[in-house]
Amino acid sequence: MSRDDARPSLSSIALTFAAISSTAFGGGQKASVRQQVLKRGWMDRDCFMDGLEISQILPGPNILNLALYCGQRVRGVPGAVAAFLGASIPPFIIVLIAGALYFKYSANPFVQGALRGCAAGALGLTVGNALELAWDERADWARIVLLALTAVTVSLLHMPLLLVLVIFGGIGIVHQYVTTRRPKQ
Amino acid sequence: MSGFADNLLHLLWTFAQLSVLGFGGGKGIIPQMHYDAVTRYQWVTSQQFTQFYTIGKLVPGPTTIFAALVGYAAIPGRPLLGATVATIAMFVPSSAIMVAFDALWVRFQASPWRVIIAQGLAPAIVGLVWSSVWTIARGVAVSWVAYAVAAVVTVLMLRTKLSTPVLILLSGVVGVAALR
Repeated sequence: MSRDDARPSLSSIALTFAAISSTAFGGGQKASVRQQVLKRGWMDRDCFMDGLEISQILPGPNILNLALYCGQRVRGVPGAVAAFLGASIPPFIIVLIAGALYFKYSANPFVQGALRGCAAGALGLTVGNALELAWDERADWARIVLLALTAVTVSLLHMPLLLVLVIFGGIGIVHQYVTTRRPKQ
Repeated sequence: MSGFADNLLHLLWTFAQLSVLGFGGGKGIIPQMHYDAVTRYQWVTSQQFTQFYTIGKLVPGPTTIFAALVGYAAIPGRPLLGATVATIAMFVPSSAIMVAFDALWVRFQASPWRVIIAQGLAPAIVGLVWSSVWTIARGVAVSWVAYAVAAVVTVLMLRTKLSTPVLILLSGVVGVAALR
């Protein structure tokens, strides 16, 4: 069998990511993508892990970037487009349905109560996420200080995001560069 | 009519910028998105912003899909157009970068800058996530019940395997009972 015959069709790429994006949540999505692409033989484990890493470095939702990477690996740019459509259209339709229901029923007191409760839950999840991420930084006090400075500056001074990334991201990169270069005693 | 076209362009430009600046999976863009959508253009209220964010966490797919709901509310006469424009602006620019970067990736992979940039940006991103806590809290009901729900969910998230949608839906049940 020639190599081209083994390449998945664009529709199978789109449908694979549509199935994942319409059913999987949060971290479970990455696991689903991993399972599907390895099972289908689209790439090996190392290739997938590279994709996972790059999809987390570049801007954009990790899961969408990962889908783009996988699509591009197996079928080039058309594969990436197919993966993009599969990974974005189902969530778009689902969120639109949720939005239409929201605007129709959000005046109802029971729905209001549910929405207030859900919003409080989402706040709790955000706090949990922030705590987990900060915990990962605990080894270096300089990173904790930088993190806290960023949070306070953004919250109180509404510093534009671009400036935040240039200044605080820039300081972080310089700090990382210096600590990487300095041999550990 | 020009108000309509202006609004659409503002929507497109706002979310395209957020897309390109969405490092860390887009976790850090919430404060800027709130500033643009609530304070600057007044497309949505703070309460709506938090509720849309909540819906984004509740549905499958990336949380930032809630950009569609901001777009839906931003163009009252043509909500589907607003939702579509906001979603395209949110997802296409970052995707284009991802696809374009593929050619550079092989060279970048061997470079020490890969780790330096990823690790170096992390404190700023985490700081932005902490600021998002404040952003989201502004749209949460001022009520001890709501704060208690948030605190319990934080503990459950960190200490149990309960999934995001389950935790949000459980919070909704408490809300129907106690936050009407």
